[in-house]
Amino acid sequence: MAYVSIPAYWKTIPQRYSLIGLRCKNCGYINFPAREICAKCGKKSEFEPIKLSGKGKIYSYTIIAAGSTPPEFLLQEKYVGSYPVAIIELVEGPKIVAQLTDYKIEELKIGMEVEAVFRKIYEDNQVIRYGIKFRPIRKRRIHKGS
Amino acid sequence: MYKVAIIGVGQTRFGEFADKGVKELFVEAFLEAINDVDKGIDPKEIEEAYIGNLGVGGIQLGNFSSMAVDQIGLHGIPATRVENACASSGFAFRSAVMAIMSGVCDVVLAGGVEKMTDIPRDKLRYWLGVSGDTEWERLAGMTFPGVYALMALRHMHQYGTKREHLAMVAVKNHKNGAQNPKAHFQRETTLERALNSPMVAYPLTIFDCCPVSDGASVAILCRADLAKKYTDTPIYVAGFGAGTDRLSLFEREDFTTLMSSVLAAKQAYKMAGIKPKDVDVAEVHDCFTIAEIIAYEDLGFCKKGEGAKLIEEGETEIGGRIPVNPSGGLKAKGHPIGATGTGQIYEIVKQLRDEAEKRSRQVSGAEIGLTHNVGGSGGTAVVHILRRG
Repeated sequence: MAYVSIPAYWKTIPQRYSLIGLRCKNCGYINFPAREICAKCGKKSEFEPIKLSGKGKIYSYTIIAAGSTPPEFLLQEKYVGSYPVAIIELVEGPKIVAQLTDYKIEELKIGMEVEAVFRKIYEDNQVIRYGIKFRPIRKRRIHKGS
Repeated sequence: MYKVAIIGVGQTRFGEFADKGVKELFVEAFLEAINDVDKGIDPKEIEEAYIGNLGVGGIQLGNFSSMAVDQIGLHGIPATRVENACASSGFAFRSAVMAIMSGVCDVVLAGGVEKMTDIPRDKLRYWLGVSGDTEWERLAGMTFPGVYALMALRHMHQYGTKREHLAMVAVKNHKNGAQNPKAHFQRETTLERALNSPMVAYPLTIFDCCPVSDGASVAILCRADLAKKYTDTPIYVAGFGAGTDRLSLFEREDFTTLMSSVLAAKQAYKMAGIKPKDVDVAEVHDCFTIAEIIAYEDLGFCKKGEGAKLIEEGETEIGGRIPVNPSGGLKAKGHPIGATGTGQIYEIVKQLRDEAEKRSRQVSGAEIGLTHNVGGSGGTAVVHILRRG
């Protein structure tokens, strides 16, 4: 695959916007992204849509250096510079690839707990492509009344 | 089924050649392969060609193989372009072997060519990303070095591999490349320099990555029982294997192994009737330094998780227990995508014939050699085992 057209992107909006996985009715495996034949049992099965919680842990990560980003991310490279991309292992099992956001670079590590947030991913043909990024789960600050 | 022999090999230097296009490079490798057949061969005896190539000018070109055989004066024969990303000519070689095994052909050409350095930088960025998963990995801002970086971090996490071990692979391969007149980088480097060079995708620095190269390579194969007619030193194809894996890394269970390599190696060892310890010399797919460490494990040169120990103990240097990438590997010899697979065949044939240009680069007494060519981030892999007659 090379260029991902706007229609091709639209087809995957349930996954990209809402983290909808497909549970195979034959073997129970949760397929993410969507597919027609189950990746686990290899059968053309019925699938049950299942909303994934968006909670998980960093399974691995890297920091893509400014100057080496894919062409879709030239704007981000220009304004933000280097950025981290991680593999998140969701609590329901599937792994997902996504950028991290609201992070401190020095605190990133395998096993860190993260949650999904809806964000702008990139722009193409004057269309903003939205999707999911992940941010570290922080303890809620206790605000004392003033 | 017929047995198969390699009777001639040719390879351009890999590197950046402003004055040579895809046609000139392919012709140069072809002429060297023909001249390498020591008792002589009429090119018209070649009955079929399989040629590895990813693209020309950053795009795919229809009917590429027709153009290629036309340039070498062989228009008329069936020719097929083989595209399996960075494993394109490894798979072209496999197709040539199978064409002879089946009895369809007696003499077949396998080769590959890639012209990468005349592609504008931004187009190259785009093009280099097409051999992995675009829909999800690339659209999360991921790159090829990034995918291998994810593997490296998991290998470090699970097995205690350190950045120093990755740098040791770069140092070894640059040392070998420095003695190879056909290598892209013919200079040594140090552990300090490799470790302190700019990050490309943490934890990989620029010295953990192979270069973007131009180059071509060609092998001439024939039915083994006909080989002595062409040469006194045929090299025999003892076994081969190939496999695939989930295209996207994130959909794989284990990031520290390439299932495609494991499957390919298992088949190749079985067909050749040998064990990993019988291999005297290997050219493995070190597109990134971590890929060489993972290859040690996937090919059975050491146990799972002990790849770092193998490089640290010097076992994969020339003179070690199992010399790996005496050519300099993709890291130093260079990686012109479509030419890499038959480029590995070129090196192993030279090693098994005891013909390395400099004696310091020759693995002495090598009888069995292995090539390992991977497509993308492990979506495909192919292994060949070659044997001296």
